[in-house]
Amino acid sequence: MEYIDNIPIYLQIKDILYRKIISNEYELGSQLPSVRQLAVQFSANSNTVQKALKEMTEEDVIIPQRGKGNYVTEDDAIVNKLKDHIVTEMFDTTYDKLHSLNMNDTEITNSFSEYVKQREDNHE
Amino acid sequence: MTEILKINNLNYKKNNKTILADINLNIDSGKIIGLLGENGAGKTTLMRLIAGINSVPEGVITVNDMTKKSAIKQNVSFSDHLDGFGKSVKLSEIVRFYQNVYPDFSQAKYVEISEYLGLDETKRLSALSTGTRGKLIVALALSRETKLYLLDEPLSGIDSMSRKKIISSIIRWKDDDSTIIISDHYVTEIASLLDDVIIIKDETVYEVSSVEDIQEKHHLGVEEYYEQIYEGSVTK
Repeated sequence: MEYIDNIPIYLQIKDILYRKIISNEYELGSQLPSVRQLAVQFSANSNTVQKALKEMTEEDVIIPQRGKGNYVTEDDAIVNKLKDHIVTEMFDTTYDKLHSLNMNDTEITNSFSEYVKQREDNHE
Repeated sequence: MTEILKINNLNYKKNNKTILADINLNIDSGKIIGLLGENGAGKTTLMRLIAGINSVPEGVITVNDMTKKSAIKQNVSFSDHLDGFGKSVKLSEIVRFYQNVYPDFSQAKYVEISEYLGLDETKRLSALSTGTRGKLIVALALSRETKLYLLDEPLSGIDSMSRKKIISSIIRWKDDDSTIIISDHYVTEIASLLDDVIIIKDETVYEVSSVEDIQEKHHLGVEEYYEQIYEGSVTK
């Protein structure tokens, strides 16, 4: 596991798990691996994994079931909200960077559609 | 959370030279803690004192409510660098020695860990690579069923594949209520493993901090923070 040094590990783990839920690698209503399994997978302390899971529980994305572990929510509205949030975060960074290049909103919109078209062409 | 380790006003001199001064420390159980400090800072000495191997001349060390050196020694698993064994000794003989000496040594746990790490009991100590020897040292230490484990530079000089295996064996076989203290002077790789770090500088405990606090309050990685402390550019 490669982590960013100066960001708390539990936040990075939470982010990875959220992406796996959004991308449907962990499906709605499915069971997450155990804390120990996740700890090994993330080369992290179980306390750290617990902390990530605790926040995910507080944010209603996962639901702990006594004695059975943690399950992904069945509510797709929650996952969609999560997705919107992550997408907005990505756009925030890109938008700010493009703005700092002195591009206006029309230029940004145009160059983005141009970019998407190019990517589509490359795929064909 | 119970307190597994408590050190009060510990002072330690060797040949009239101060090695450790005014050490005070309280460690809660269940954590994995990094003991950081440059070479010669006194990390190994501190571990030997906590493990009940060296006598405490001044101050009190309490491990799991015990203060008697002999009792502590029976209850702390300190990674032995195996220098006391002859070169031709077989791994199986070392394992038998551990079984005889430590009543808390679990043969079953050793079998699991050594299988995971790929250790071959029929091999002789002299035939092991540095990485495999490192794995053996950690496997032996973790196979004792106790509350406090001290791993003295378990990753030092070890290739990256073996390091990864050692790190995951620590995660796999640590009980929730046991505590592990790992010394190192190279932290980035184990930062994700640690709850807290103890930084030894100028013969004393310079700071005890959670890894999260370092990242959240100082916006630094542990390695960076620790280097800055040594350079004197970070103040508490």
